[in-house]
Amino acid sequence: MIYEKEKRYIIPFDDVPSPRAEMPEISVDERRGNFVEVETGFPEDMAVKEAKRCLSCRRCLGCALCWAECEPEAIDFSIPDEELDLEFDEVVITKGQDNAFAPIDPGLGFGTHADVITDIQFERMLSPTGPTDGMVVSPLDGQIPSRLAIIQGHAGQDDEHLLSSLILGVNEAIIALSKTENLEVTLVSPFNDGFKEGFLKEAQEVSGLRLIEGAPESVVRDQENAPLSLKYSENGQRREETFDLVVILTRPEISKEMKALSRRLDTPIQ
Amino acid sequence: MGDRKVLIVGGGLDGVAAALEKAGTGAHVTVVEKFPSLGAERITRDRIVGPDDAFVNPDLDKVRNHDKIRILTYSELKKVNRDNGKVSARILKRSLRVDNTKCNDCKACIRVCPVNMFDDFDEGLGFRTAVDYFNPATAGYNIFKEEMPVCQRACPVNLDIRTYVGQIADGKHLDSLATIRERLPLPGSIGRVCPHPCETACNRQYLDEPISICFLKRFAADVELSQGIEPVYETPDKKLPGKIAIIGAGPAGLTCAYHLARQGYEHITIYEALPVPGGYLWVGIPEYRLPKKLLQREVDLIANMGIDIQYNKRIGEDLSFEELRKNNDAIFIGAGCHRGLKLRVPGEDEYEGKGIVDCVTFLRDQALGKPFETKGKLIVIGGGNAAIDSARVGWRMGFDEVYILYRRTKKEMPANSWEIDAAEHEGVILQYLAAPVEILGKDGRVSGMKCIKMELGEPDASGRRRPVPIEGSEYVIDAQTIVPAISQGTNLEFLGEDHGFEINRWNTFDVDEETCATNIPGVFAGGDVVTGPDIAIRAVAAGKRAAEGIHEYLRSR
Repeated sequence: MIYEKEKRYIIPFDDVPSPRAEMPEISVDERRGNFVEVETGFPEDMAVKEAKRCLSCRRCLGCALCWAECEPEAIDFSIPDEELDLEFDEVVITKGQDNAFAPIDPGLGFGTHADVITDIQFERMLSPTGPTDGMVVSPLDGQIPSRLAIIQGHAGQDDEHLLSSLILGVNEAIIALSKTENLEVTLVSPFNDGFKEGFLKEAQEVSGLRLIEGAPESVVRDQENAPLSLKYSENGQRREETFDLVVILTRPEISKEMKALSRRLDTPIQ
Repeated sequence: MGDRKVLIVGGGLDGVAAALEKAGTGAHVTVVEKFPSLGAERITRDRIVGPDDAFVNPDLDKVRNHDKIRILTYSELKKVNRDNGKVSARILKRSLRVDNTKCNDCKACIRVCPVNMFDDFDEGLGFRTAVDYFNPATAGYNIFKEEMPVCQRACPVNLDIRTYVGQIADGKHLDSLATIRERLPLPGSIGRVCPHPCETACNRQYLDEPISICFLKRFAADVELSQGIEPVYETPDKKLPGKIAIIGAGPAGLTCAYHLARQGYEHITIYEALPVPGGYLWVGIPEYRLPKKLLQREVDLIANMGIDIQYNKRIGEDLSFEELRKNNDAIFIGAGCHRGLKLRVPGEDEYEGKGIVDCVTFLRDQALGKPFETKGKLIVIGGGNAAIDSARVGWRMGFDEVYILYRRTKKEMPANSWEIDAAEHEGVILQYLAAPVEILGKDGRVSGMKCIKMELGEPDASGRRRPVPIEGSEYVIDAQTIVPAISQGTNLEFLGEDHGFEINRWNTFDVDEETCATNIPGVFAGGDVVTGPDIAIRAVAAGKRAAEGIHEYLRSR
């Protein structure tokens, strides 16, 4: 299952799965010594069939079922979009709600395993208004985990981000531990001086939280239905442990639009 | 202070806090948020907390009930400008399609909605229907209907893919082509060469495989051709004044001219340094991927709109840039990246033209029909599409053996995977993890190359693992022709000295992203000359943006 933003649309279709049409080509023998076009184009029947595979993606399909069901007649498809021209003396640009993050090394299993999630997703999961009303469950099978790993996804990041992601990781561990019985949380990340001096002692006092100063290397599932296997290095030693749920600490990224806006208005992002 | 107006962009935790702070000083505050509701609670990131006070809640009630704060959710800044200290903004406020003053929160709508999609608000951990209340803390219902499907959004020119693919499904192939031409005047050419970012975005891939969008575009263009239809690109009867010069008849320049002509401009001249149109599409993309005849026809259709294309006119040689500026009201620079970058190894300069030829020159000379010695072994150096094109061209020209030498592995190659496969399929031999050290020669001609083996180290800034030479692993291979295809750069000599343009360290123009305007009024630039070597459809998009920018500039004069 893919969690990447902006790519979400699932609805059942009868013709799924069906492969895409393959472009016909002239043979390799026909290509040597000349510059004849290799790809010969779709014949009509093939093109029409391929075009029919299109899901015509849109969110609301305009079927009006909701409109028919709505007793207080609150649903109104004719409410128009509005365009407003406004003038301001000052502008404040904030990060917004995009929650974009820097790409994560595919070896850490995010995007491959449904039970590898980001710290931002975990934040929603822990939220009382979140998808599970704050319960910690594995998105893979809905089970409550007993071994949870929170691992650093960006070891090479600068100190400020490393520190704030470590604090977020510890805080998420504290909330998860308070909500889940018999849970053990393991945090694996490089530590920096800021963390060691200002927060490590406090974090060490959290019961149920194991802190490992190390570098996560890979997250794999060796066989189906098995727990996730995390490889990491600690003091130059390579170690391997299994977990029911893995949370990756991400590096937040400002969206392209916000960056462009900031440049255009010569205003920093708060 | 009382009448001060403040715009807050973003309605997350930070935006809500900023809005309350500014409103507290007496200012009138407007919050613009892209999502249908304001932000949710977040976990503190600057101190370790207890389980009960870990979440910081935005004060949603206070911000919603504040008489100095106006909240525009599901809204977007369409245009924004800073002028004399004031910021003027055009804001699109999308319809929620639900009157939340009437809604009684019974959720009947959610139960019947057939659409099932990942929930953005919960970071994809759950599902939602098209009708939803998004942030449960705000309970504002909305019906999510997108302006564009993902494919259209992924396309640099925002082609209306859903419509034109649907028209093909309905058998209305020529209507489909007309839909494409609303934005793209080169459907047959782009339909052959585009690496189709739309297909990478296509939602069908999560069910089986993405729709073959690019080839369907080509199909629509081929139908017209096979039916022998010669269309006329319409221009409006009402003509607009203003002389516009375009430098370069590549995809950016041609598209810019097309859209200007569609606006009604009738004095458009394209100056092309080469004897042929199309820019890199003609002299970079080989014939076996894009037949010249087809490209020529698409260019002719554009030229027939009354656009004067002057070939063999190199600005800076046949006509000075200064002269061009004097005689025109606006200029678009779409000069591309037609300079092959050097390997910078010993022997390269000595044997230049004597067996060593950069990929841009190699592909151009072949495309223009210059004779070439094709005996022996050809080695292409590099991993991009230009390297693959050079190798596949060399193989067709009749070299006995064709090699590609790349310093990383196949996985890191920037070339499109299907092009790499095709090259291998044709018999091009790919050698990975090797880099050139020295060009060797004999009797005044290239005779071979000293290489070194590489291994992959830590990831670099591009996220790819950095190749590191293995000490003492040098070896020599013989070669009669060597084609470096490592990257391309711009050539801005035509601007002359003291041109006053803002040029960045990649030797490309710095332009306004929306209008393609350079720092010199009336001069616009787009395509590879701004982005560095990039895909054709992005140059098309820049040409279209520039046409709109030029139109706005000429109108406001």
